Amino acid sequence: MIPKFDYLRPKTTEELVGLMAEYGEDAKLLAGGTDLLVLMRDKLIRPRYVIDLKGIGELRGLSWDEKRGLRIGATATLNELLESEVVKERFSVLWSAVGVLADPTLRNRATLVGNICNASPAADTAPALLVLDAEVEVAGKDGERIIPIRDFFTGVKRTSLKPGEFVRAVRIPNPPEGAKGGYYKWGRTRGEDLAVVGVAALVANSGRRIMRVALSSVFKTPLRVFEVEKIFEGEGPLGEQIERAVSVVREKIAPITDVRGGKEYRLHMAGALTRRALEELLGGS
Amino acid sequence: MSRHKISLRVNGQSYELEVEANRTLLQVLREELEMTGTKHACERGDCGLCTVLIDGVPTKSCLALAVEVDGREVTTVEGISKGEELNAVQRAFIEHGAVQCGFCTPAFIIAATAFLKRNPHPTEEEIKEAIGGILCRCTGYRQIIDAILDASRKV
Amino acid sequence: MKYSYVGKEISRIDACEKVTGTALYTADMKLQGMLYTRLLKSPHAHARILKIDTSEAEKLPGVRAILTGEEIPHQFGIYMTDKYMLAREKVRHVGEPVVAVAADTEEIAEQAVELIKVEYEELPAVFDPCEALKTDAPLVHENLHEYLHAPFVFPKPHTNIANHFKLRKGDVERGFKGADVIVENEFNQPMVQNVQMETHASIGQWLPSGQINVWSSAQSPFAVRHLLSVGLGVPIHKINVQVPYVGGGFGGKAGLHWEPLVVLLSKKAGGRPVKLVMTREEEFNTAAVRQGMHARIKTGVKRDGKIVAGEIEYIWDSGAYADYGVNIGRAAGYSCSGPYEIPNVKCDSLTVYTNHPYGTAYRGFGHVEFHWAIERQMDLVARAIGMDPVEFRLKNAALPGCITVTGEKLREDCGRVDECIKAVAKELRWGKKKPERKGTKVRGIGIAALWKAPAMPPYTSSSAIVKLNEDGTATLSISLIEMGQGTATAFAQMVAEGLQIPVEKVKVVSRQETDYAPYSWQTVASRGAFMDGNAVLRAIEDARGQIKETAAELLGVSKDKLTLADGKVLAEGRPEKGLPLGTIATCGILPSGSGIKGPILGYGYYTAEGLTGLDPETGQGLPALMWTFGAQGAEVEVDTETGEVRVLKVVTALDLGKALNPLLVRGQIYGGVVQGLGTTFSEEFIFNEKGVLLNNNLTDYKIFRAPDIPDEFVPILIENPKHNAPYGARGIGEHPTISIGPAVANAIYDATGVDLYDLPMSREKVWLELKRAEGRK
Repeated sequence: MIPKFDYLRPKTTEELVGLMAEYGEDAKLLAGGTDLLVLMRDKLIRPRYVIDLKGIGELRGLSWDEKRGLRIGATATLNELLESEVVKERFSVLWSAVGVLADPTLRNRATLVGNICNASPAADTAPALLVLDAEVEVAGKDGERIIPIRDFFTGVKRTSLKPGEFVRAVRIPNPPEGAKGGYYKWGRTRGEDLAVVGVAALVANSGRRIMRVALSSVFKTPLRVFEVEKIFEGEGPLGEQIERAVSVVREKIAPITDVRGGKEYRLHMAGALTRRALEELLGGS
Repeated sequence: MSRHKISLRVNGQSYELEVEANRTLLQVLREELEMTGTKHACERGDCGLCTVLIDGVPTKSCLALAVEVDGREVTTVEGISKGEELNAVQRAFIEHGAVQCGFCTPAFIIAATAFLKRNPHPTEEEIKEAIGGILCRCTGYRQIIDAILDASRKV
Repeated sequence: MKYSYVGKEISRIDACEKVTGTALYTADMKLQGMLYTRLLKSPHAHARILKIDTSEAEKLPGVRAILTGEEIPHQFGIYMTDKYMLAREKVRHVGEPVVAVAADTEEIAEQAVELIKVEYEELPAVFDPCEALKTDAPLVHENLHEYLHAPFVFPKPHTNIANHFKLRKGDVERGFKGADVIVENEFNQPMVQNVQMETHASIGQWLPSGQINVWSSAQSPFAVRHLLSVGLGVPIHKINVQVPYVGGGFGGKAGLHWEPLVVLLSKKAGGRPVKLVMTREEEFNTAAVRQGMHARIKTGVKRDGKIVAGEIEYIWDSGAYADYGVNIGRAAGYSCSGPYEIPNVKCDSLTVYTNHPYGTAYRGFGHVEFHWAIERQMDLVARAIGMDPVEFRLKNAALPGCITVTGEKLREDCGRVDECIKAVAKELRWGKKKPERKGTKVRGIGIAALWKAPAMPPYTSSSAIVKLNEDGTATLSISLIEMGQGTATAFAQMVAEGLQIPVEKVKVVSRQETDYAPYSWQTVASRGAFMDGNAVLRAIEDARGQIKETAAELLGVSKDKLTLADGKVLAEGRPEKGLPLGTIATCGILPSGSGIKGPILGYGYYTAEGLTGLDPETGQGLPALMWTFGAQGAEVEVDTETGEVRVLKVVTALDLGKALNPLLVRGQIYGGVVQGLGTTFSEEFIFNEKGVLLNNNLTDYKIFRAPDIPDEFVPILIENPKHNAPYGARGIGEHPTISIGPAVANAIYDATGVDLYDLPMSREKVWLELKRAEGRK
């Protein structure tokens, strides 16, 4: 059973800001509910107020333009992303991450913004957003601000959102020309599972070689490993560069052992998936 | 706790209800409307047995608050076919032995019916992915997949 | 013999109800004035209960009854009466119910539970059954010596041993002396759970008149009724148990579960019906599970491949209670060798109490577990003497005329394990060249054989009633529960065959009710098609006799000149004189208008006959009503970089005597194989050091999903009929689940050269073992 609460459904962001200011920590925001309602049913949280964002028109949907890139509203569902040709063609790393998050039915409700606000180290969309240099559009009673995604996650289930702030949208600049990317997720089974390790990689070769890697489930937050990026700026045989990247990734991550996997296995798989990702993405270039 | 007046259509019928904020769509369907064809086996989004259509879209009803569904159209297994005439997915499930204990069957019928509307000619892999969020402990899924493939050929 | 209905691929008779969502399950039921139950459960694995304060909960409006263990001293059990409905004096596992609340709504009951305070004093706990055997181990049951138990159970008072099953055949010491090679290995597997989709659901009502009504998701209404009667001290005729459709059981709903608790709550609430539906978390923590097992197998073998001695130890982690566990230990003990003839065998199968959740039946009942050990060992022994594993199995196969470990001489009609093994080997292209390694991916094939007989006491029975209706349709009443296995459909086919009417004209009553239904012991152990099937056949025969008697008098011909065809009774050579069955259903009508005879009501029963108890010291005797033999084969592709094992193909050959309905048989095979694969790869209880289950949900307890299944299934149905069985059919409900694990592990060895000894073989575990093997090189 989900414990008792008051349900509020503001129609504007101003109304939302007012409610959040009034109820503070007693309130939780509801978008898809696929994390929130589970936490509530399991009695891990007991908010007195649940504020549904789906009544606010401006938080809905996706938009894209050539100049500013992609903007994903707070209540846009994962399947909306999956069905978008723009996301599929231009943001393939995100598209592939969304496609392996939970299952198709859940993705009809779950949102990308919810996925990052839940701030699990295993959040599947986070590594993709990290390699895409996404920005989080935040609003609150003190106005608006932009948080680069790399600064958004601060710990297990923690973000840099201040009390009274909410995520209005996630903005993703258009990736570099010719960018390719993919999210390589490893679970305990082929079927739906939480990531034991996930690796998002983005590569491009537009004048200079760009290579970015970020991981899930191997650190207290989703983690972009910036240190590998300069490896590929220099010259040298690709195979060697990839191996150096693999060992840097292994150095920088700090996985734990839990019911889903052991530390040693996660270290190994983080390396293996990084190698697989880079070989596949760079192999053709 | 807040109470809310909602109106929703379920299987083509209109309902005016007053629900408490914490009631899920699943609970309202099973307990208030006494439509027990929709089952549940975990109430936290893992099993998918509570799958219903909201405005035609498959949704796990244990993770949807009833108040959120105000003004929407819900379809459950009780309304997936027209009267006594079974739909192609239901007929294929019977023919292929895709039913055993039957507890997960309504969810698969709902999900497969909606899936074939979106993707009328799926591959086996696409079917596995589409039903990947629904658990069955009896059939090993083989005959369920066969039934959906067969239904797709007959639709 | 050509049949019109039996052996045909007929759709399930209950399918329409199930695809339309109209099939009713206990959890769907709502009765007038019904109350809802929630449980307060122990957070400790082993602790004394010092104080329970329910005063705040009692004040909550809508709370109608609260029970603690103090108030209900009744003990319940089918084989070992060791369990109370609510913990008394101490708790023995995390998740054990301590207080039950019945209230107007589930929500109020849940709130009330949160208001109850319990003080505990933690006690030292024991989690490893091998540790629990030590003399200084904490005792889980101090009063074991006082518990009532079945005569074939041998507990050791003042220890944690709930049952010590002993088997001694031949002279093991001499056997080992004569062996050329001795191979000894240990194998493990963790606790797992049935995970039937419908959680346990019960409604109980104890009326002021003394009448008790129960609605339950039970596999065995008559066992529930009997055990309730014994436990509560209420006469049986005052108890009515009803079972609608059951959403999967796999053994987990056999015997008695939470029925007494809801009945007792109802009594306290003045007779209002009280419902309890377990949450999924409670299924893992509070309801019963499959026992863990540690096995040690020592095998003595001759160079020519003949096994001459076996020393076998099965140690079962029964958890906090062992009502069912004792019989699982026993069943594994009397089948301990697997489907092989071994002249000298010593087996000790110990069911051991620990502070884990408690064990019960789960599809394959001890056999999934011990075959993991035996069928791995068979490959390891074959390798030790340089023999092909298939050839080695065939050399030792338990064939007609062989003597089993309990001294039973297998009869000619017992079924053929050798044919199953050969069929699987052929399908796997055994002995042919292996595919080349592709990058990090290597392929291999493996095989494992199996046997199982219904695991039950030597004296169980079943009955059936077939009624002929006025329109020529027929209604069959049985007490076998339809929980997915499809037996009711097979029985409808038998009735159709026997009365020569279409299957559509046969109804099998789907809701069982002990007040009206004929007796059947339990729906367990793959016994239904055989035992209840025989009862159904006899009931049909009885009905046919009655039909012919009436018809003979009406037609003026002798009974033996009558046949049934096309829904009619026909006199030999005079087809024009046929009587439609419906016209004689209630009585015969003479031309004068007078009535003769009476309603056609066929009755039949079947009792397991000729079985014996087993000698307490040697385990010798006749425990097996029928053996069903089989073999499993797996083809796998192992990714040596990640440890991922992809199952390309599973081949299942069963000697089922006769496939009554091949469509449904294949369904049993696919489903059983996939459950076996769950045990093989992904399912396990993971506890912390305090005995808290860390993965008590379907997020982290991974049962197979559609994308996880093998690329290909090959069911092979071998039909060597069994005498005295319905159309020759043996039970096969459990068998497809057995020996999947070892077939896969043997294939992994074939692919990688690495041996696995512990289940489950997760990606991580396979990778670790591959890495360890690399290190040893």
